[in-house]
Amino acid sequence: MSIIELRNLAKRYGRKTVLRNVSLTIEPGEFMVIYGLPVSGKSVLVRLLTGLEKPDGGQIFMRGQDVTRMPPGDRNLGYVPQSFALYPHYSVFDNIAYPLTLAGVDKTRIRAEVEQAARLLKIERFLDRRPDQLSGGQKQRVAIARGLVKHTDIFILDDPLVGLDFKLRERLIEDLKVTQEQLGVTFVYTTSEAVEAMQLAGRIAVLERGEIVEVGPPDELYLRPKRIETMRYVGFPQANLLYGQLHRRDGRYWLSTSLFEIPVHQASHAQESIEEASQAEVSVAIRPEHIRLHAASTDSAVSFQAKVLLREDLGGEEIVYLDARGLQLATVLRSDEEEALQIEIDQPLEVCVHLRDIVVYAADGRYVARGG
Amino acid sequence: MSRAMRTRIYYAILWMVAIFFFLPIFWILLAALKTDADILAVPPKLIFAPTLEQFNKTLFGRGTGISNTIPYLVNSLVLSLGSVALATVVSFLAAYAFSRYKPRATNFLMFLMLSTRMVPASATVVAIFQMYNAFDIGLRNLGLISQPFFRGFPGVLLLYTMFSIPFSLWILKGFIDGVSPRYDETGFVNGASRLHVLFKVVLPQVRPGLIAAFIFNLIFVWNEFLFNFILGGQGTQMIPYALAVGLVNAGGNIDWGYVAALSILYVSLPVVMIFFFQRYLLVGMTFGTVRGEV
Repeated sequence: MSIIELRNLAKRYGRKTVLRNVSLTIEPGEFMVIYGLPVSGKSVLVRLLTGLEKPDGGQIFMRGQDVTRMPPGDRNLGYVPQSFALYPHYSVFDNIAYPLTLAGVDKTRIRAEVEQAARLLKIERFLDRRPDQLSGGQKQRVAIARGLVKHTDIFILDDPLVGLDFKLRERLIEDLKVTQEQLGVTFVYTTSEAVEAMQLAGRIAVLERGEIVEVGPPDELYLRPKRIETMRYVGFPQANLLYGQLHRRDGRYWLSTSLFEIPVHQASHAQESIEEASQAEVSVAIRPEHIRLHAASTDSAVSFQAKVLLREDLGGEEIVYLDARGLQLATVLRSDEEEALQIEIDQPLEVCVHLRDIVVYAADGRYVARGG
Repeated sequence: MSRAMRTRIYYAILWMVAIFFFLPIFWILLAALKTDADILAVPPKLIFAPTLEQFNKTLFGRGTGISNTIPYLVNSLVLSLGSVALATVVSFLAAYAFSRYKPRATNFLMFLMLSTRMVPASATVVAIFQMYNAFDIGLRNLGLISQPFFRGFPGVLLLYTMFSIPFSLWILKGFIDGVSPRYDETGFVNGASRLHVLFKVVLPQVRPGLIAAFIFNLIFVWNEFLFNFILGGQGTQMIPYALAVGLVNAGGNIDWGYVAALSILYVSLPVVMIFFFQRYLLVGMTFGTVRGEV
């Protein structure tokens, strides 16, 4: 049985619809990341989940019970709000203990629980301090500890790592993942960082303009998302997008673009038939790392000519911008790869892409086919 | 002219201005410690044997215009502390509502509240007098009161409370706006009640605002004369009234000793307050928009 179920949730503010038709099922012990750009409606969804606001339509079920109209305090949720919200007039200890104090847990048990949570997040040294004596990362850990100390099975984390520096995020992401696994509880986690979503999620729900456009495990979402928007938003550098035509020849479908012509087949979880899509121009997406800087050596790959425009060194890896017959393409290389050492600006070279890495989207942005 | 020289001249001017303004207070302070004969001595005596005789006479009455000043002191303390405390509680709740629920026309309502403080007292005092009188007559006709209610202690207390609310509301709204609603929400999700959030989460974070609102209005009520003089009866009068009435003694002369001693008692509370809480006063005077200091 699912632990959280959202059915056709809708929320409006005045005339503005911020959520529509949001349906989502979350299994016990799952790490569900709700990914969306700012103003996609993530925070509103969190407010509905926590009960801070009531939906205008639809239902929310938790642990099999309809909680749509239930006040926040009765839902028994662990909550890590955006922007910490640590009480400045409480010590770190009292902040972490807060949910337990409110629940009337006895003092000796509170002490034990708080110390355990503090150990888990490595903040046991700061328990006597005040929040304003902590660094941003330490504050965030305290906020997470306060969220996790509660005895419950559902935890809502509203973009908890926003605004933290890169290194700290990496560490906390690791900690969050381990913590969730250790506790075996359900996490609902919102973020507007695609990388963060990929690293954390068991499954990702992509929220776009108030609608969930797709739900799936990170690798599926990354390689062959159902929507071209997901392809565009998820991953850095952005996926390469080009235009093409589908047409039928010798009993199968072919994709032709200004760079290549390849055979394609209808994808197994495609949402639109290839025949319908072939009526109009289609979009073709290729992930940067799938463009390889050498000629094709097998039949299952396609090669074309390109010229190096620009190299951008990111330290461990390098983004190489190519010009292929007027189209600008980006590719990513590990800096120690042999090809990376040799290429020079303006150098013409032959690049290749495996057919299976070429993904085709219909004009309306739905996934239809892939190469091969 | 060298920089050091210029600084020295600035300081000299500043000291001169400060001394000029402080002189009357200095005279009052000296007079309060002198005997009647010393106060009127010509030339003024700067060296004399200090005595607390004037305070003794003022407080407990020895043939001065007002026989006993203690009730006025008590009235001043009770009315100002009482009304300001009441106003602070009411304003805190109102400011929370304005800040969190943002009712329609919040800004207009806030302005309307403040505008009551921009009208000169003399423009409204007669109208309020008539209104209070009518209330009292009505209540007496209904048989609910035998003593005047509005034109007495409760009425004056209410008026001062009402007059202290706008500033407190402005100051506290500024402070509560600075407390993120995320704090409230964290409380709610963890099962806290609205009252818990109000008094355990929000209130401790706006304590400087509460102090600022309290001090600022306390000084106002402490200094108020006109409304109380017109609206209240004998039993509600405060120190400003005692000063005005006791100024002339039974013999028709100005009783400088009484004026001096009572003035010193009168200013001591604001002086102490301002000395300890001056940074909060700045907050009050800027309606809570300048909060950096506290």
